[in-house]
Amino acid sequence: MQPQLKSKVRCTDGEVGEVSKVIMDPLSHDVSHLVVSMNGEGERQVPMGAVLTVANDVVELRSSSSEILRLPPFMREDYVTLHEVEIPGLERHIHVTPGEVLVPFPELERNVKRRIFFAKLTYATGLFIGLPLVFPVMKFLMKPMYASLDNRWLKIGNTGKVKTDDVGVQFQYKRTVKEAYLPEAEIEKNVWLVKATSSVLEKVYQGKDMEFRDATGRAVWTNKKDMPYLAFSGKCPHLGCAFKWRKHKVLGQVFLCPCHLSIYDASGKVLDGPAPRPLDLLPIQVSANGDVQIIDMEFKAGTKSQTRIV
Amino acid sequence: MNDTPSSGAQPTVAEKVFTFVDERVGLKLLAAKMLNEAVPGGSRWAYVFGSILLFIFGMQALTGVLLMFYYVPTADHAYASTQFILHDVDYGWFLLSYHFWGSSAMVLCVFAHMSQVFLWGAYKKPRELIWLVGLLLFAIVMGFGFTGYLLPWDQRAYWATTVGVEIMDKMPVLGDFMARFLKGGATPGQMTLSRFFVIHVMVLPASLIALAGLHLFLFRCAGPAGPFRGTPTELKAKTDYFFPRQIWKDVVGMAVVFACISAMAFWEPVVLLEEATPDPGDYHPEPEWYFLFMFQHLRLKMFSGEFGQFLGSIGLPSALGIMLVLLPFFDRDSERNIFKRPLALIGWVVLTASILLFTVSAIINRDFLD
Repeated sequence: MQPQLKSKVRCTDGEVGEVSKVIMDPLSHDVSHLVVSMNGEGERQVPMGAVLTVANDVVELRSSSSEILRLPPFMREDYVTLHEVEIPGLERHIHVTPGEVLVPFPELERNVKRRIFFAKLTYATGLFIGLPLVFPVMKFLMKPMYASLDNRWLKIGNTGKVKTDDVGVQFQYKRTVKEAYLPEAEIEKNVWLVKATSSVLEKVYQGKDMEFRDATGRAVWTNKKDMPYLAFSGKCPHLGCAFKWRKHKVLGQVFLCPCHLSIYDASGKVLDGPAPRPLDLLPIQVSANGDVQIIDMEFKAGTKSQTRIV
Repeated sequence: MNDTPSSGAQPTVAEKVFTFVDERVGLKLLAAKMLNEAVPGGSRWAYVFGSILLFIFGMQALTGVLLMFYYVPTADHAYASTQFILHDVDYGWFLLSYHFWGSSAMVLCVFAHMSQVFLWGAYKKPRELIWLVGLLLFAIVMGFGFTGYLLPWDQRAYWATTVGVEIMDKMPVLGDFMARFLKGGATPGQMTLSRFFVIHVMVLPASLIALAGLHLFLFRCAGPAGPFRGTPTELKAKTDYFFPRQIWKDVVGMAVVFACISAMAFWEPVVLLEEATPDPGDYHPEPEWYFLFMFQHLRLKMFSGEFGQFLGSIGLPSALGIMLVLLPFFDRDSERNIFKRPLALIGWVVLTASILLFTVSAIINRDFLD
């Protein structure tokens, strides 16, 4: 039990005064000293070590009254009040006042049932306002997220640019995009063309034509297995960076992605690095005069199988 | 209370205003309560990082608001308006560069702050909630970095975002939705810029202010942990209040950080790369330095293939995050001395060393790309 304010203080040789103040230790949260008002002879600061017992309204000390009187007088200016200092959780630790300060509960507030009812009603009203908002807000934010796929053929250049077999040649092209209400804009993109020898073609197509389907499963285009031009999407299937055709010390001429160092050969096969699948082939057609057209597709990076997103 | 005794002289206008406000809101009491907080074991330089972070955030908010006077968050104006700030607006180069280097300072100080709390064992009971809210704040700071550097709309911005969002896409179940949600479509464009802008200038600052407030409130509820060595008597003998010694150290720390950021802004002002396009030309995409270690470790052979990549980009970082969240609940030993917690010490050293190692190797790797 903590000594209370106003408790009588009794020494070995009789009562000497009452507890006028209590001093806390800010670190341990314990009462460290009592300040005893010495029946008109000033105040003395008594350490808790000198306290023998603490009862409801009496504090008994081990010392005699003359010993207590010899203690130095209490210095108020060495202390601040509880209101002027931040000590976490002090209210939970201190029980030294001889009583409580109370405020009456208003008459209308004494019906406990109604309080609970109103608390629940508050939550219900909150839900009534909030829940109907969830769907519209989500739809509002999701508006541009799932655009339909576009299977237009884009002209990207002429095969005259490709001089050597089994070498990656970059074709830059512009693609128009229309976002939301904005006017149509052009963005620059690129694909890599390879004029493949039959061995590379065999590696790519493995003797079968390659069919491209849209989301509904309808066939969009078929790349014939003996058509020598391959078009690779410019997006690295590892994490979506842009790869390049580079000379590698050991592997020779390869596609190299400078981001995470995935390396692919001319057929798009992964030679080294973290990529989970070969480069993505695009639908391609080459006209008699060498004009190249592709369908601009992009696939989700980082997955073993292809998921088309553009 | 220590009301000043009336000296007989007429109060000045300032004193009258102060008294007017004090009577209504209890200013003196509030100030006393704010400043008279016992710091067990006394003030220390190691405790300055929290205050410094608050200071850096304040400066980021200030410079950020100033930048918005000229910056236009649209795909066809973002780049030009940023260049305008850099080259035409008086001191624009300084404010933008301060904002840029401020973000680096923020990441460094967050790391220092978290390390201090970790090494001092200050996350332990009863301070678990402060730690948890702190982790959320850490995530917000990284979010600031990630959303911030898309805004200039240059090549670095575009590619860092492309890769960053692809990484997010690897999250199980929610990944695809999250990636599209952030991009506002399948590929980065105007919708992405709008979204990142709103997140950077509204959502994250609001969350940070709210959570930092909660962080401080919880800190005040639990009180400072103090040093991990020393008997109660020794601690008590060295204990002082937050004001003036700790505040003085904090202020010196802020001044040093301010000087460093200003110096960096002055000597290494922001230079934009070319305007963003889905065709990077000769540019080798690379994220900001504080994401470099992540970028570099994804190059490892062990993180190849679909599963390896999931492991490297989502699995490991999440595992680390979950470990940090659970830390105060598993580590229930009340021992706070780091030299008596070998596992914690080794863990911290290994993590810090590997972050350093991967960052440095990413930088060295640059030379081999051309």
